[in-house]
Amino acid sequence: MTLRPALLFHLLCLGVLRSASLLVPAHQRAEWWMEWRSELWHVRQSCTPEQGISWAAEREVAAFCFGAFQDALCLRAHFGQRRIPHATTTGSATQCLLLLASMVALGFVSALLLPGVSAILHQPRYRDAQNLMLIHDAHYSAESVPTISADQFRSWKKRRQEIFDGFAFYQVRKESVSSASHSQTSLSIAHASSNLFGLLGQPMWFASTDATTHSVLPRLILSDAAWKKEFGGDPHISGRLVQVGSNTAVVSGVVPEGYWRLPGKVDAWLLQPDAELASDGTGFVVAHLTLSTIHARWGASWHMSAPKPDGSVDDFSCVSLTERTRGPGDIFLFTIFLAALALPATTSLPLGEYRLPSRRLSWSTRLRRWTFLASKLALLLPIVYLVSLDLAHLRAAIDPISSEYIQLVSSFSICLFGLRWALRDQRQRCPVCLRKLTNPARVGQPSRSFLAWNGTELICIGGHGLLHVPEMPTSWFNTQRWLYLDPSWDVLFAESGLAAASYF
Amino acid sequence: MAPEVKLSHTAAMILQAVNAGYVYGFSVMEMTGLPSGTVYPAMRRLERDELIRSQWEQQSIADTEQRPPRKYYKLTRTGKVTLESSRKRYPLLAKLIPSEQEERV
Repeated sequence: MTLRPALLFHLLCLGVLRSASLLVPAHQRAEWWMEWRSELWHVRQSCTPEQGISWAAEREVAAFCFGAFQDALCLRAHFGQRRIPHATTTGSATQCLLLLASMVALGFVSALLLPGVSAILHQPRYRDAQNLMLIHDAHYSAESVPTISADQFRSWKKRRQEIFDGFAFYQVRKESVSSASHSQTSLSIAHASSNLFGLLGQPMWFASTDATTHSVLPRLILSDAAWKKEFGGDPHISGRLVQVGSNTAVVSGVVPEGYWRLPGKVDAWLLQPDAELASDGTGFVVAHLTLSTIHARWGASWHMSAPKPDGSVDDFSCVSLTERTRGPGDIFLFTIFLAALALPATTSLPLGEYRLPSRRLSWSTRLRRWTFLASKLALLLPIVYLVSLDLAHLRAAIDPISSEYIQLVSSFSICLFGLRWALRDQRQRCPVCLRKLTNPARVGQPSRSFLAWNGTELICIGGHGLLHVPEMPTSWFNTQRWLYLDPSWDVLFAESGLAAASYF
Repeated sequence: MAPEVKLSHTAAMILQAVNAGYVYGFSVMEMTGLPSGTVYPAMRRLERDELIRSQWEQQSIADTEQRPPRKYYKLTRTGKVTLESSRKRYPLLAKLIPSEQEERV
């Protein structure tokens, strides 16, 4: 026997038993642990081969260990100080749907309480995002690194353009900001060309419509967070004079939360004439692509060669802002599609064989079964959407790109496992009364050469039938099979005591 | 006279298995085909209702066979009476798990 894998599996099983022992009342724990540990030893001796690793045997040993949780819960229920709420899936179809509905409600309430989720759901969109391109030096792979100088931007803007019909520039720097009524504070200021917001089509709150007052001064646009934190959310903020570094600026508006999707964390934007933009350092250039069928075929990312201020030609990459401005709904739909594609690879899709009995089922009974499956899937989708949004925006400080990745991964994972659960739950229910099947029993002769048992049988406590699940799919029996029971079997299920409420 | 305990088919099957000589939890599992999450809680409840009782085997026996000591179960008098009434309710029970006496016959 290979020592290390076998020892690892044994340690894992002991870990499972130890976890289950925590549920046992303290005064019974020592004896319980001793009993299960002893039984585990004998199970291993009986099931696992002397040499090599048998995955089927290890699965059987693991299944044995997981039964310890039910034993521990049983002990706790009968001898413990308090009852543990139901830890297993509910029995009736109504309970199942109510549980799913409560999860939807919980996800919705969490979404309402998390400020990040509210912002992302109500964020305004850029105008023509697919034709807005972020240009950066092709020698840098990440477009989130500033690579374009203000001189480069000015030289492009002066030249006659065929591809683009508008350029905007911004450069992020830390500056001290102060005003007459507020003390000095350090903020991330984007020194931007005056046409930046016009190019993005970005709406503003409290935008100043008075063009005469302080018209020669640079305009300062505040982010929603900076407006609330540094200026107390003052609704009369527009027109106030502030000192930004060595510049005096006038506050001209507030940008709604969640709208800024370009690289760089920015607390405020100082809009300046192009000539006043500092030549030192590098920033970002956003350009609007001229509408053309040729340009539409270029896709979301492409390269170009463009002249530099010194006259030489260099390579630049252009990336559409579509990726950065994707809404949560687009990501959700994409992950649903991916999960639906991946589902057949992770679980079998058929629900099993359900040959109709001699007395045919009413159409309402059959319809109710499919309606139940459809209801589960319908409730699963909002759970996926809301929970993935809650996870992606759990912290307000998280940047938009990371939030999208978190939403993508969590949405796909929850959707895939949710779909698997829905199918598996459907297979484990009686097709007549939709209750969970109970009393699983291994059937067939145990075989130590292959798998231990031929299959498992479960019954409906209402006496509607039996479900046989084969241990290993074969050519003659490759999926679970439901056997309807006729009324002559009712005598076994007629009495209330027979439902074994006190034992199971 | 104490009220007769009505057992489910599965509980009766476990009681029959213990009576037939399958005195350890795992051997009851093997005989009945039931999983551990069913057998062990059921045996706790049967013990709670005083239909079976448990006992640890002697350490010396375990040491001799170089294995950990096991807990084994035996039917009580009440358990035997309950098993008899269960056999009347479930006539196939004796055939599913024949006892030692029935096998000899």
